[in-house]
Amino acid sequence: MADNPCPPLAQLEAIVGAGRVFTDADSLEHYGRDWTRFYPPAPCAVVLPGSIEEVQAIVHLAAAENLAIVPSGGRTGLSAGGVATRGELVLALDRMNRIEDFNPVDRTVRCGAGVVTEQLQQFAADQGLFYPVDFASSGSSQIGGNISTNAGGIKVIRHGMTRDWVAGLKLVTGTGELLDLNRGLVKNNTGYDLRHLVIGAEGTLGVVVEATMQLDQAPKDLAVMVLGVPDMPALMRVLGAFREQLTLSAFEFFSEPALAKVVAHQGLPRPFETEAPYYALLEFEQSGEVDMDAAMAVFEDCVGEGWVLDGTISQSLTQAENLWRLREDISETITPWTPYKNDISTVISKVPDFLDEVEAVVNAAYPDFEIIWFGHIGDGNVHLNILKPEGLDIDLFREQCGEVSKLVFDIVQRYGGSVSAEHGVGLLKKDYLQYSRSPAEIEIMRQIKRAFDPQGIMNPGKIFDL
Amino acid sequence: MKVLVAVKRVVDYNVKVRAKADGSDVDLNNVKMAINPFCEIAVEEAVRLKEKGVATEVVVVSIGGKTCQEQIRTALALGADRGIQVEVEGNAEPLVVAKLLKGVVEKEEPQLVILGKQSIDGDNNQTGQMLGALTGMGQGTFASEVVVDGDKVNVTREIDGGLQTVALTLPAIVTTDLRLNEPRYASLPNIMKAKKKPLDVLTPADLGVEVKSHITLLKVEPPAERSAGIKVADVDQLVDKLKNEAKVI
Ligand SMILES: Cc1cc2nc3c(=O)[nH]c(=O)nc-3n(C[C@H](O)[C@H](O)[C@H](O)COP(=O)(O)OP(=O)(O)OC[C@H]3O[C@@H](n4cnc5c(N)ncnc54)[C@H](O)[C@@H]3O)c2cc1C
Repeated sequence: MADNPCPPLAQLEAIVGAGRVFTDADSLEHYGRDWTRFYPPAPCAVVLPGSIEEVQAIVHLAAAENLAIVPSGGRTGLSAGGVATRGELVLALDRMNRIEDFNPVDRTVRCGAGVVTEQLQQFAADQGLFYPVDFASSGSSQIGGNISTNAGGIKVIRHGMTRDWVAGLKLVTGTGELLDLNRGLVKNNTGYDLRHLVIGAEGTLGVVVEATMQLDQAPKDLAVMVLGVPDMPALMRVLGAFREQLTLSAFEFFSEPALAKVVAHQGLPRPFETEAPYYALLEFEQSGEVDMDAAMAVFEDCVGEGWVLDGTISQSLTQAENLWRLREDISETITPWTPYKNDISTVISKVPDFLDEVEAVVNAAYPDFEIIWFGHIGDGNVHLNILKPEGLDIDLFREQCGEVSKLVFDIVQRYGGSVSAEHGVGLLKKDYLQYSRSPAEIEIMRQIKRAFDPQGIMNPGKIFDL
Repeated sequence: MKVLVAVKRVVDYNVKVRAKADGSDVDLNNVKMAINPFCEIAVEEAVRLKEKGVATEVVVVSIGGKTCQEQIRTALALGADRGIQVEVEGNAEPLVVAKLLKGVVEKEEPQLVILGKQSIDGDNNQTGQMLGALTGMGQGTFASEVVVDGDKVNVTREIDGGLQTVALTLPAIVTTDLRLNEPRYASLPNIMKAKKKPLDVLTPADLGVEVKSHITLLKVEPPAERSAGIKVADVDQLVDKLKNEAKVI
């Protein structure tokens, strides 16, 4: 473990040039934390390299000085993986944001780690293609950060996680070595696929400096439907009914308190007058009247069964966008309440029973706290957000939530689920890793970390302690 | 009181339109189409008048090929009672549309005709005014508020420097501006009910109108690409560039 000596500022500046090393309080706070607000940032310095060689030189220097590094992307992470609390050097990839070497035959493109997710989405659209990983923070998050958290988002049900779109990546390890992993190959069965170890490693194995990303065919005419649903089990029945008839590209849900907050704070119209305890948002490609008729027929069946109370469907792209905002704006809308986030999952078939149990525990444990449910329920993944009551001390709040989390995670464990479906572990979920991973698994993870980072300078203390 | 609403099928507001490679027209192949946003506002206003008990029937008319029935169905789902399609292939010019609408007005005898102030494809802003001239009805254009009061309608208009309210004797014509209302979503039950609402198809001949074209489209080309901005090092350099390069100060 690094013992955080004073940063070698002059040497850092010699590597990256003047004006690219910061130690002022504003920069330390800005670059030293992510979207979480539970840990005060305290990095020793911030450095912004502009090339792979500069990253390697910084890592060599840090290794020589035994200085810990926190790789930093768009800092939108929700598990404090990118928070520097212990005098680490923050290595921010913002400047390495070039998109190059688009290959229309392979449908791949080379991205610097600092390319913003939305920048890649836009680039793909300009080529008539599609980069399908998408979520509310894609305007700020970076490809390097997405890879390091294996980000999921709102299109996983059809297009999978970030992992599925990384054709190759380059990593600077804890020794400063540059690894060129998989080189864009579709098929490459030559031993361990180290690329997949790096995806989701939250910066603990090294710095992702570049990635070759796969692009997809652009979807045609997407229709967005919002349905009012009486309870969580009905949500899963609705999912099943629609999936029998249509290929869904999204199946999201949110609760009435979530909708009420978004409508009030974003000035958006409600989808329909009927108030329902839960709402499902579906997206599918409509190839003409056939799909639309099928969708209507399923809707009628669901109403007949009592699984759906009311619904609407987008008649234009503007409406599609506004309906999506009802779901996508939730995270940002509730941020002022410093929500304590649980990001839990189980296999889809077990979701109804699983949620029944979780809901019962949560309602009993938090009679006074406001609870906001939303998430990617079509993937078996829900975000359970507990809002901090005004005036309650933040540490006390986190402590109380942590206690209840244990009850929730007991259920997660019994269902063979995950305590962090897509947000990673970082600092926030570190104490709960054993609910989803066995001691033997965690020990092998430690050994893998040592193999990539023998000195333990890469984001130490995140995910697990050595 | 019967209200007639005209709606147009146009390229969806959010689509980035492209010119055809040969520059002959805008490329509409595989492009999302939707109801013109100003027409959507017109439908919403008519439906609100009906909900308030002011209007008794809302008839929606669209002029175009068979596909424009989709937009008529959308309007029916939003609350209109029946639809009329006047079948015209290709893009009818505002004068032709106004003449066809005049034919429909004579047939239906509405007390109020509500149209969008313009369609976002042609941006002509002519049809409502031409219809006013052809029918001799009073017109309140760019409406941000519509209040029916007995045999009059008071229309608040957004004009340069403020708001103007005109009182029109019914029957009258209103064209909508953006701030008149916020259209609702069509609910799925209403979309299904809309499928059963009556939709009549008329031809221009039924209305005694000959479809003529007075305009020839010569060329469509995309606007020149804007050159990228630059970053200046400091205020001095900015002032220098504004003075000596842009010559604006
Ligand atoms: C409003 C909102 C909505 C969100 N919705 C979703 C969602 O639907 N699905 C989802 O999966 N996530 C979601 N997130 C979480 C977050 O946006 C993603 O996890 C995102 O991938 C983080 O990317 P980033 O660039 O901001 O990473 P950061 O927060 O900067 O870093 C995340 C982790 O990756 C490491 N890291 C960053 N860059 C590198 C690099 N180049 N090399 C090595 N390690 C690196 C950091 O050290 C840290 O451990 C949401 C966040 C917000 C604020």
